[in-house]
Amino acid sequence: MTVFSRGMAPGPPADTYRSGLRAWLDEHDLSPGAGYDGSLDAQVAQLDRVRRELWDAGWMRYGWPEAVGGRGGPSALRAVLGEEVAARELAEPGLYSMVEVLVPTLLSYAPPALATAMVPRLLSGQEQWCQGFSEPGSGSDLASLTTRAVRDGDTWVINGQKVWTSLAQYAARCVLLARTGPDPGHAGISAFFLDMDTPGVTVRPLRTMHGVDEFAEVFLDDVRIPADRILGRPGDGWRLAMDLLPHERSTCFWHRVAHLYTRLDRLLDDAAAPGDEAAALGEAYLALHTVRCRSLTTQHRLADGARLGPETSVDKILLATAEQQLLDTVRDVLPGAVELHDSAWRTEYLYSRAATIYGGTAEVQRNIVARRLLGLGKE
Amino acid sequence: MDAEERELLEETLRKTMTATPSGGGLDAALTELGWPDMLAEEPSAAIRAVFRLLGETGAHAPLVNDVLLYEMGRPLGGALPMPYAGGKWVEWSREASVTGTAVDPGLPLLSVAEGAPVPLTLGRQALAWWLLGTGHAMLALARRHVLDRHQFGRPLASFQALRHRLAETLVALEGAEATLVHADGELSSLLAKAAAGRAALTAARHCQQALGGLGFTAEHPLHRHVKRTLVLDGLLGSTRELTREAGRVLAARGAAPRLVHL
Ligand SMILES: Cc1cc2nc3c(=O)[nH]c(=O)nc-3n(C[C@H](O)[C@H](O)[C@H](O)COP(=O)(O)OP(=O)(O)OC[C@H]3O[C@@H](n4cnc5c(N)ncnc54)[C@H](O)[C@@H]3O)c2cc1C
Repeated sequence: MTVFSRGMAPGPPADTYRSGLRAWLDEHDLSPGAGYDGSLDAQVAQLDRVRRELWDAGWMRYGWPEAVGGRGGPSALRAVLGEEVAARELAEPGLYSMVEVLVPTLLSYAPPALATAMVPRLLSGQEQWCQGFSEPGSGSDLASLTTRAVRDGDTWVINGQKVWTSLAQYAARCVLLARTGPDPGHAGISAFFLDMDTPGVTVRPLRTMHGVDEFAEVFLDDVRIPADRILGRPGDGWRLAMDLLPHERSTCFWHRVAHLYTRLDRLLDDAAAPGDEAAALGEAYLALHTVRCRSLTTQHRLADGARLGPETSVDKILLATAEQQLLDTVRDVLPGAVELHDSAWRTEYLYSRAATIYGGTAEVQRNIVARRLLGLGKE
Repeated sequence: MDAEERELLEETLRKTMTATPSGGGLDAALTELGWPDMLAEEPSAAIRAVFRLLGETGAHAPLVNDVLLYEMGRPLGGALPMPYAGGKWVEWSREASVTGTAVDPGLPLLSVAEGAPVPLTLGRQALAWWLLGTGHAMLALARRHVLDRHQFGRPLASFQALRHRLAETLVALEGAEATLVHADGELSSLLAKAAAGRAALTAARHCQQALGGLGFTAEHPLHRHVKRTLVLDGLLGSTRELTREAGRVLAARGAAPRLVHL
């Protein structure tokens, strides 16, 4: 995919890696400690700790090139690691998986020296990063974004606003999209790697409906970014955004599916008489099994060197549907668990409502399937 | 079988299925082509190629019998009672004289008394591939139609409501195919049959809608695929029954088995 992937070490076979990792995790319990209260602060601190320990012990380094501190090997090893993290409930997979979205992007688009300097900070839990794409006026229609970057000598001056930026309040860096060219559409968009402590950046956390206030508004007022912090060339921003989605939908999805299996297990534990709910449990299980099989197929394609594209919208639709169906089943099988008690189920149920919104809405995914996979032409 | 051999085989099978009358004629032609040897040598590749193509071409032949007999280690040929949804039993006859009363008028299906238990793993895989092929056949018909037909001065394919129905269909079929590719045991084959049944029923509903009045005529091929879907869904357990059964397995184990691994 990049200059980095050339000559990458082959890494251990997935089975060897998995059994070594499991043995290590059995010895080194990374579960949240006694003071853990489940707040977002605590979740982010736990995430940092998990990354740091896994990085120091080397597990976090597989699947990444040596130039960024990695030890090589296929991305499947990262999928194995994330699955284990999810299965042991060491970190919330949505937060954990941010690396899967942003690191491949940096490797593909950043000047090599920048990637070499920055990527280890994210992988090792020193920093959080965020993804500043959406704007108040541009969600699904991302190409209409209006945040502007104007060249001034060897800096770019940025003005505009981002919204729903996950973890912006914790982030040291942001992969930011802004308009650099006169072209009002895709062609005028560029991507930048912004230090969040740059003067002119204001972050205002937003309250979310599930009570874990994970995203924020980001205001950009005359923010100056050095010219060497552009990712790719001017005008490459749209391509970067499109290249990023398949990353989000391969390894991250494998992690999320593993996480959802732990939720189904928990539901089976909590249900008073699961045998009486066989139909609903079976439906939820069928949907999860289906997306797990699909995601495995995608992992195999990735391993064979395939370039992932619009067919990952199928994975996205299957996952979002399975997630909502599972949490709907929780609400049906455990009456009152969501409504009457301040429980983890409440948070998870509410969060599942976002599954058809973030990362491209359910409708936008269906538009892509119709246009790109079925060849139905324009609407 | 490598990719090239598979393609060649599929081409031969497709030709045979389109050129030969379904039922006894196709049964004989496929035996002639070496179906029994293929099944013995590479059961999952043989099942996948033959049954998926039965679905895609709209042909039929009583080969599910052979799949069950093979799994039982008995000689192929002949017919045996098979479980159907709702505790019913049917026989897929190989007699030329039998017509049957199934909603799909081509299928020589007879209601029979309860038979001896049969192994279900390969049979469910076979029916799942068949349902998947049938679903793709319906989707291809609907896709062609919405591209060709205009209403309100635009192709039907430009209406988002229809685009989303067909997208939903493709997603269901792709998901079912993934479960089938990874079906190798009892539970994974049960789930694959459920996923394929669900996908084919989804295809039937959405494609029927997209085809409008034309799809309701007996001249148009859609109705044959719709009726075949209904019948195949019930054979060796319906989508509804199989998902419930999967739920019972979960309840009994107290955990959700992870059936596929990296
Ligand atoms: C929990 C969460 C975390 C997020 N994290 C981030 C982040 O880290 N970084 C970031 O940049 N963004 C993030 N987002 C924003 C997310 O990407 C957007 O919410 C999403 O792209 C949809 O945009 P919108 O909210 O403006 O909805 P809109 O685009 O206004 O859509 C509203 C409704 O209209 C429908 N619609 C829109 N266009 C069409 C169409 N062409 N055809 C049919 N229906 C259509 C949509 O499907 C939806 O149902 C996050 C969102 C959530 C909920």
